Amino acid sequence: MSKITKTLVRKRLFFFLIIGLVLAIVLMARLGYVQFGLGGWLTGAAEDSWSRDLPFEAERGEILDRNGEVLATNVSAPSVLVVPRQIDHPEETAAMLADLLDGDQERIYRQVTENSSIVRINPDGRKIDQEVAGDIRKMRHSGVYIVEDNKRHYPQGEHLAHVLGFAGIDNQGLVGLESFYDEKLAGQSGHVSFFSDAQGRRLPDMADQYQPPQNGMDVKLTIDDRVQTIIERELDNAEATYNPDGALAIAMDPQSGEVLGMSSRPHFNPDDYQAVSPEIYNQNRPIWAQYEPGSTFKIITLAAALEENKVDLENDHYYDSGSIEVAGHRLRCWKKGGHGSQTFLEVVQNSCNPGFVVLGERLGTEKLFDYIRAFGFGQETGIDMDGEGSGILFKEENVGPLERATTAFGQGVAVTPIQQVAAVAAAVNGGTLYQPFIAKDWIDPDTDMVIDSQLPIAKRNVISEETSKEVRRALENVVAQGTGGKAFVDGYRVGGKTGTAQKASGGRYLENNHIVSFIGFAPADDPQIVVYVAVDNPKNTVQFGGVVSAPIAGKIIGDSLEALGVPKREDQIEKKLTWTDVPVLEVPDLTGLTLRDIHDASYPLELDIQGSGEFIQHQSPAAGERVEEGSTVRIFMGDEEQPRD
Amino acid sequence: MKNTKQPVDGLLLFAIGALLIIGVIMVYSASAAWGEYRFNDPFYFSKRQALFAFVGVIGLVIMMHFDYWKMRRYVVPALFVCFGLLILVLIPGVGLIRGGAQSWIGVGAFSIQPSEFMKLAMIGFLAHWLSNNNQLLASFRKGLLPLLATIFVAFGMIMLQPDLGTGAVMVATSFIILFVAGAKIKHFAILGGLGVLGFVGLIASAPYRIDRITSFLDPWSDPLGTGFQIIQSLYAIGPGGLFGMGFGESRQKYFYLPEPQTDFIFAVIAEEGGFIAGAMVIFLFTVILWRGIRAALLAPDSFGTYLAVGIVGMLFVQVAINIGVVIGLIPVTGITLPLLSYGGSSLTLMLVALGILLNISAHARSV
Repeated sequence: MSKITKTLVRKRLFFFLIIGLVLAIVLMARLGYVQFGLGGWLTGAAEDSWSRDLPFEAERGEILDRNGEVLATNVSAPSVLVVPRQIDHPEETAAMLADLLDGDQERIYRQVTENSSIVRINPDGRKIDQEVAGDIRKMRHSGVYIVEDNKRHYPQGEHLAHVLGFAGIDNQGLVGLESFYDEKLAGQSGHVSFFSDAQGRRLPDMADQYQPPQNGMDVKLTIDDRVQTIIERELDNAEATYNPDGALAIAMDPQSGEVLGMSSRPHFNPDDYQAVSPEIYNQNRPIWAQYEPGSTFKIITLAAALEENKVDLENDHYYDSGSIEVAGHRLRCWKKGGHGSQTFLEVVQNSCNPGFVVLGERLGTEKLFDYIRAFGFGQETGIDMDGEGSGILFKEENVGPLERATTAFGQGVAVTPIQQVAAVAAAVNGGTLYQPFIAKDWIDPDTDMVIDSQLPIAKRNVISEETSKEVRRALENVVAQGTGGKAFVDGYRVGGKTGTAQKASGGRYLENNHIVSFIGFAPADDPQIVVYVAVDNPKNTVQFGGVVSAPIAGKIIGDSLEALGVPKREDQIEKKLTWTDVPVLEVPDLTGLTLRDIHDASYPLELDIQGSGEFIQHQSPAAGERVEEGSTVRIFMGDEEQPRD
Repeated sequence: MKNTKQPVDGLLLFAIGALLIIGVIMVYSASAAWGEYRFNDPFYFSKRQALFAFVGVIGLVIMMHFDYWKMRRYVVPALFVCFGLLILVLIPGVGLIRGGAQSWIGVGAFSIQPSEFMKLAMIGFLAHWLSNNNQLLASFRKGLLPLLATIFVAFGMIMLQPDLGTGAVMVATSFIILFVAGAKIKHFAILGGLGVLGFVGLIASAPYRIDRITSFLDPWSDPLGTGFQIIQSLYAIGPGGLFGMGFGESRQKYFYLPEPQTDFIFAVIAEEGGFIAGAMVIFLFTVILWRGIRAALLAPDSFGTYLAVGIVGMLFVQVAINIGVVIGLIPVTGITLPLLSYGGSSLTLMLVALGILLNISAHARSV
């Protein structure tokens, strides 16, 4: 047994002292690390935990048209906040607020006594009148704060509603540009911070800190409010006249992709969006809707064939017997008995389906689809809005001669209106496909300086300048001499093409349910505007396709160019003196045609449709009789297919 | 045992006095908001602390002039009295429950914590027994085992309250005495192993202790629950920087820190006085450690040596644990900071103990 000596005790005491000193040093080192190493971070975190923020909302940026016309703005509407722990007499305060805000006292009492640092008086105290806010301020109740707030206002009402969209109660963008550009428009909210104890009362002797809000940027759109106003007016007229299921129009600058106007029906007032079903404000049809384009698509086939030198419009001829047989199917022309011998320019003017089948054959499947894709179909255009459709093309490996033939005249594919506008713009502007866009300039609200600008986005060259020129000439002929005559505007050299889309549902075409459209541009020598108009299932007076949409497009083009200050041209392809100028005409033979066929035609006659079925069985008056322009032709529908030739 | 009495150890007395004054002032600063809130009196806690300090200083002066070896005849009865009190405190209706532990006996402000007395009684008993049976400690069965049994019975009774903090301090203090008195390192190694196992077992047996451990490892994993105290403590210390926010300028004392005047007073000191004040407090405690061990070394008898070691050991263990908790080095345990934290029993008893230490140092053999 070893002896416990004084020396051992002494040694152990020293050891104890050393351990103690080491511990003391460790404590000091850790204290220093917490205060100097972690100090900055801890200070920030601690200040966050001490400070209570009273929010100061940033003012949302305004939305302006390209000329500075205000499309979306803010009106001042303060809100009431309370800090329950600073309220001395909750009963009185609740009574005062309930009285001035005309709200439910019980609910307000619950809010002013809520166990929370900052409470909004919801909904009675949100976005209230300045006067009421002033009254509340005058009451000087402790713990009650009025914070500057504002709400969105759309001074033009329904104008451009789908494009603008709207912002919600917290000024957060919900739909349209308000949502797409929410981050830029919203800005950064600021706040007043006061330091408080853990129970929410102000700490003594601490200054409040004010962090001013960073207001959102203003944006100038490519939209021209004058063009937009014209579009809205024309669509209102179309709605009144035809009572359609829907209607839409787009106007774009073909030289840059800047969208000048865009609208659709049914529409809504962004200030009162709750009044309509979400379907209406969520579907921006000009970019969302996908449907068969019909004959407007022939412009693509034409441009491709010209670019590939597959056709000479003046010198190549085609004999149209009224139908063409493709892979065992007979594809008919809308004109009974056919157009006979035509140049290909006349094929375009007459919108002759068999002629375009031939153009598709000459191009071949691969080339045809290459051009369709090069013109931007089958993919989103990339326009700066949410909810764009991409369209549907045949899968190329599934394309036989029949699919190629129908694609060539615009059936069996689905496209969006904005795709057509962008593609036709490329076909007539010299061959450049631009990405359509709407937000042009971003403006600092404090300095009014332009911070950021969107320049035209050229995606690719699709066809040459020469081809484009030839397309313009052909389409000007369509309007001056052919099926697009109703879009003619004297002096503005309008070019364009009618189209009829048969609506499909569940993989089947719907009977007697068409979208009739027209796409046009002007002036043909230097296009400044492309306009697309589509009317969905026009009713009341059922008319031929070119008769419904072409005049609307013509009106939009003519009035817009005038508003834009584009001078009228001296030389133009003179309008063929057609039926419009002839009071009496011969009734065409319509028997055996479908409604779709005759929508592609254009006669100054009204139709009275009787019975149901796909094909016209009889007509009255009979073909060849001479009637006055504007007379009604009664047609009787049935399912029996009649021999055409 | 006749030696000339030295003048009082001025350095030791200065360190004690300085810490005591800092304590009363900081208890005021830390507790003013709470006092105002709960008792409508910002001086509520500091007035009482000043009173406790006054009573404690009287105790200190008395013990300073009472030759320590004369206590030897009282230490065994004192130990029994303390055991009795530890039993009494567990009787429902007699013991008062505060903060989840049944640790108090008495009425209102005059209540005491038997476990605080037990810490001191155990030191006295161990010093007495070891100085009588100097060589027995080398034997496990005859020396160490009976002492360990006594220590663990006391510890077990304190744990019934339960008060892990005080119990751990008592055990740690006892082990320091045993170590200095010459217990074999081999025995310590075995005991250490058993102790770790026991400690782990204790922690595992009470879920809230596990939470304290995990929240110590990552307080931000549950900032409003188990991590709350340590986060609030760091929020106080971090912004203090070198010079602090200034006296009275603590933000964390405004109801963020759960008990700014007791367990977390060091956080308020480091917040208001910065690193300088925090380091100075640690330094003053280190001075007490140094002078205390010096007194133990120079004590005329081994009773004095062990008694001094026990007192200074108890003080320093509490300092290390309390500050360690506050600065996020070890899990939250609930131990007060000697001389600084608000609290009657702990302050007066600590001053009494330090009076004994001063008396021992006054009998130091001349060097």
